[in-house]
Amino acid sequence: MLPVVEIDIGPCINCSLCRRACPTEAISYFSTGHRTHVVEKELCIGCDICVRLCPMDCIHPDLNYQPDPVKLEFAKEKARAFAKRHRRILTGRRERAQRAKEKVRA
Amino acid sequence: MTSKLAEHIRQMPSRRNPPYRPAMTIDKEEAARLDEKLGDAANYDIALMREMVQADPDNIEFRKALVSGIASAEYAGIDAFSRKVCEWQDWDVPNSLIMAIARQTWDEVRHARLSTGVLESYGGKIGEYPDTLAGGAGGAPPPSTQGQAPQNGGGGGRAAPPQTLQEPVSMLSAVNVSLEGGALVLFKGTSELGRKIDDPLMEHCFDYNWADEVTHTAIGDYFVKLLTENDPEMEKRALRIHAMSEYGRTRLDEQQTEELKEFFVDEMERATAALASHGYGSEESPD
Repeated sequence: MLPVVEIDIGPCINCSLCRRACPTEAISYFSTGHRTHVVEKELCIGCDICVRLCPMDCIHPDLNYQPDPVKLEFAKEKARAFAKRHRRILTGRRERAQRAKEKVRA
Repeated sequence: MTSKLAEHIRQMPSRRNPPYRPAMTIDKEEAARLDEKLGDAANYDIALMREMVQADPDNIEFRKALVSGIASAEYAGIDAFSRKVCEWQDWDVPNSLIMAIARQTWDEVRHARLSTGVLESYGGKIGEYPDTLAGGAGGAPPPSTQGQAPQNGGGGGRAAPPQTLQEPVSMLSAVNVSLEGGALVLFKGTSELGRKIDDPLMEHCFDYNWADEVTHTAIGDYFVKLLTENDPEMEKRALRIHAMSEYGRTRLDEQQTEELKEFFVDEMERATAALASHGYGSEESPD
């Protein structure tokens, strides 16, 4: 099982890349009431996407956190829905690009 | 009291050679030319053009359109940030912020030159494709003149943008943190596209821009923190401006998160109730 993550808010520049890419919406910002990105660990599935995107390298694994299996499964379900939604958007865009290519070549 | 410099800048329209030509203002003939080059004038959209370049890397027009769209935003960035360097001298902000925005303006100049160079490597030139943004920015009076009508209309004959979006904390939150933070995806994606289609110039130039955008986001975040340090209400306002900026952009991409939607839920309810009271949106509504 992959470890959940936490954000070191010191170097964080609030670029929001992690929040917008998180498949489970585990990273809060607007609802915190202050300008800070916070990981809700119960929703984190340890997918590592945010870690790879962070330009400041300020997202780290929290090796001490033990996820609740039920909540983890709920989070994974959210991630599957997210992936499905994004696949639909990307597929739509790719199909449109393909149509443009064929129309211009014709 | 507005300084002569800020006043002078406010009267200046946004200029570029060739002049700005926003995509939303093009005529039917130009739309037909875009149809021919891109399959549809509506395809002149940066996110879609990245997919088009990937779908057909041999089509040089697709590459020209993509890079023209990015270059257009860089020129608009030079205009917008350079105005802030002058205008914010009338606001109660640290001089280090003015210097940071001056540096940022110079970064945008370099980005514009890099994008123009990439475009020229494809045989294209600035102005060949319309501008993706309106180009430039109008001025706004400093706090001491709030409530007074701007002379000569401000912004070179155009109406000045709302005061709230010109005030430093709001502008830094909306543009530096939200917009430039969002632009990190654009530059990273375009650089990766260059690598995939074996276009080293595209790969390296936009990777360079990406690094600068990280710095711009950091500049914005640092100064928003500094200027709101002892003012929780101002911090909330900065957060709200960030949310509004993201709300508009992500609605177009269908990628809004639940958290962002919830941030505006009270206002949405009030707006829906107001519309319903005027007969819109209810089941009895004619629509």
